[in-house]
Amino acid sequence: MRPPRALWVSFPLGRPLGIPGDADFQLDVLRATLGMLSTATEPTIEDYPTDAPSVGPEAWACPVSLDVELDDSLAGRLLAEVGRLRPWAAETRRSRGRTLFGLSGAGPDEVDDVAIVLATVAESGNVTDPPDTAIDWAHPMPFLIRHLAEDLRSFYHEAIAAQPGDTPPNHDALNRWIFGETVLGEVLLTIGGHLTIAGDADSMALIVRNLTILEGHFETDFTN
Amino acid sequence: MVRLSDLHPNEADHLRARADAMPQFECERWLTPRPLAESTVALVSTCGMHRRDDPPFTLGAVDYRLIPRDVDWADIVISHVSTNFDRSGLADDPNVAMPLDRLEDLAARGEIGDVSSWHYTFMGGHPRPQMFEEAGKEVGRLLAEDGVDVALLVPI
Repeated sequence: MRPPRALWVSFPLGRPLGIPGDADFQLDVLRATLGMLSTATEPTIEDYPTDAPSVGPEAWACPVSLDVELDDSLAGRLLAEVGRLRPWAAETRRSRGRTLFGLSGAGPDEVDDVAIVLATVAESGNVTDPPDTAIDWAHPMPFLIRHLAEDLRSFYHEAIAAQPGDTPPNHDALNRWIFGETVLGEVLLTIGGHLTIAGDADSMALIVRNLTILEGHFETDFTN
Repeated sequence: MVRLSDLHPNEADHLRARADAMPQFECERWLTPRPLAESTVALVSTCGMHRRDDPPFTLGAVDYRLIPRDVDWADIVISHVSTNFDRSGLADDPNVAMPLDRLEDLAARGEIGDVSSWHYTFMGGHPRPQMFEEAGKEVGRLLAEDGVDVALLVPI
């Protein structure tokens, strides 16, 4: 791309207008961009001077206690964790009037079904056969795994959003929490190992792993 | 676009390599648009947003989806396949990547002429950007036919 006029912003990926819910800030970014239509006389890149506030991993901790009852089954522990987060996520959905959950094909309230399928994949190591459920999944395996994971991530983010505090955790903080402190993270990293092994025969499995677990969070050596 | 120093080193290296490999495009003929207060503005985003009933973007997709001016935010999802950008802001306020409400604000204040009836979304991150040429030209034609004066490209 070589747009004739461009505004460079320092905001994190996923937030090109800077601050969610801050109309004045977003308007300022838009005015800075559109204003170049009357000032630039040749191809131009300008820097937007202001950063957006966010809280990094060192300063942020999830306020919800996720201590779940001991249970040998991964599915049982994941369901308990989801249950702990459910009232908070419901509060966020109520206040927003919407959810991004459902890319997998599951309905907005079928969070437990998604959790059970992901935990089953983790426990069985089967990353190729479609889950045997009544849900009409929107994608084939193993690609479905990526959207199952995204759906649960959306749900976890909804739960966090209901917590008090004006400044949200940044992307790093959210992912360090999910992959470092939650059963969901344990499930996804376990599935990452299965996808690595499946990748010997099907390169799509490795692609799905890289689209499910972001850079820096999959470092276990599964080759030994 | 975030600072490279704010990214994981592997991701930053990946983006540097992608930038080095980017095909060179010549700038088209320089145009001075009509005054902003008389211009109709449309959004073109690479955030992978679409309405829930639209087909999701698939791996390697170079097609696009349409977002109507009066879209119900309760009706949108993000099927971009990348895991390396944060959706929590978008979930909280879709305007942080698709600032349709802000365009309406600017139109209501007379700072822009009007908001386009249709806006367009792609899924960015494709390793070969030249693959978008056909769809890009198509969207350009559609924007022109709709009387759009200014296309605001919003990368995710």
